[in-house]
Amino acid sequence: MTREKHSIDPSEKALVLSSLEQDQLAGLKQHIPRRQLKGPEVVVLWSLRIYLLFMMAVVIYQVLSTSR
Amino acid sequence: MGVAPPNETARVASQDSVVITHEDVDRAHDRVRVSAARARKGAFSRVRLLWLLIGPGVLVMLGENDGPSMLSYAATGARFGIGFFIPFVVLTFCMAVVVQEMTVRLGSATHRGHAELIFDRFGPFWGWFSMIDLGIGNFLTLITEFIAIRAGLGFFGVPAWVAVLSALGLLYLALLTHRYWTWERITLAVAAFNLAFIPVALLTHPNWHSVSHALLSWKPAPPLSKDTLIIVLADIGATVTPWMLFFQQSATVDKGLTRQDIRFGRIDTVLGAALATIAALATILATTPLFGQPMGAENFQAAEFAQALRPLIGRVGASLFALGIVEAGMVASVTISTSSAYAFGEVAGRPHSLNLPMTEGRVFYSVLFMCAAAAGAIVLIPGLPLVYVVLLVNVVAVLAMPPALVFLYMLVNDREIMGDLVSPTWANILATTVVVLLTGAGVLFGISVIRPSILALLGGG
Repeated sequence: MTREKHSIDPSEKALVLSSLEQDQLAGLKQHIPRRQLKGPEVVVLWSLRIYLLFMMAVVIYQVLSTSR
Repeated sequence: MGVAPPNETARVASQDSVVITHEDVDRAHDRVRVSAARARKGAFSRVRLLWLLIGPGVLVMLGENDGPSMLSYAATGARFGIGFFIPFVVLTFCMAVVVQEMTVRLGSATHRGHAELIFDRFGPFWGWFSMIDLGIGNFLTLITEFIAIRAGLGFFGVPAWVAVLSALGLLYLALLTHRYWTWERITLAVAAFNLAFIPVALLTHPNWHSVSHALLSWKPAPPLSKDTLIIVLADIGATVTPWMLFFQQSATVDKGLTRQDIRFGRIDTVLGAALATIAALATILATTPLFGQPMGAENFQAAEFAQALRPLIGRVGASLFALGIVEAGMVASVTISTSSAYAFGEVAGRPHSLNLPMTEGRVFYSVLFMCAAAAGAIVLIPGLPLVYVVLLVNVVAVLAMPPALVFLYMLVNDREIMGDLVSPTWANILATTVVVLLTGAGVLFGISVIRPSILALLGGG
């Protein structure tokens, strides 16, 4: 028997099953398997993370120097 | 990872473990209408299908024409007039189309939101970095949206607290529908007022010869200076920001778009970009008569652009400009708080859909509304130096964009989840170009702050 939340009408249940793809059903979604990041990908991600942190420091410096 | 067709769904759904929710039922009703329109022949059916499928693209593009963006365009017109920035803004929207089209493909192929995919595919370590970027950026931007609403309504003498409460009330009313479709149509109707900047521009009687000359020649070019770079970054940040990625992908999923609908998703995105470009250019043209006057982003809080334009275009034109600013803040506050709520729900594993009834979506709606309410409350605190937030929010968005784009790039080229919808080579070249341009603009900004003398050597002042 299909479990339902808050009494879904049987005709609507049929409508849902005939019109939505499997992954569109909120109750059927599963986690996608994690993938292993390759070396160059990790390097790019860390480089951009450092870039972002550095640039945020620049922005804060800019705000402080403007407010002075 | 392939996506199962409906008959496969029926087979799987007959098992005991399936839960059917109101979210599914509402989405199924939307899909039935799409299928019916698709089954019919003729031009009218095509137009109806387009009408049913547009939404996320137009909303994200007009939503990004938000308070700080319109401020950036207004400051661009007032400071630089007609010239380099006219084609430059067109270019930035082209970049936005390249980036946002990928989210349409990702959402339609995987039926998962952006935050969910990053967490699933790359793990929580990188996922939280991405969420922190989004959370900080969204909250700062939301504050500026309420500043815009307050400033725009302030032009008509509306007190700040009334402006903020009215905006929150409208946002709450749209949520009461508990229906993605209705919410989307209400927000689209409000977003249409973004085009109010067009009559304002026409009232200033623009020099169309100068406009066409600027579009073709990119001249006159501004000097390479820190002020110019801030405007460059602000104008880029006015078109490509992290929240747009999260919003459009999640809205595509919530709307129920499938692989069959990707073509219409692209049309939706291009249509949105075209409308947003027109509104952005209209704003630059509208404030061009202020060229030479000491107007900048810092003049935003008291809707001073509208007031400065009043002697030139009259009360009606200035009122339209102020209303446009209100609309910009209103639509963006809705879309940005929705993108935060989608991302939170995806990461926390809680139901996240605008189709949810209140009983099932209490957490989703609470996050959405509380984000907006907190930003609105901050705007009402007297004496806070909010002008810095307004000035820098788009700059921060540009700086946060390259890391977000790399996640998007990796996901959209992941054959395991995208199948044959992975990006073609030309799209990857364009996406890489966008990342390089954004990073380069950020680096130049950094140089202009830390070592202005190097910028002078590069040809700037």
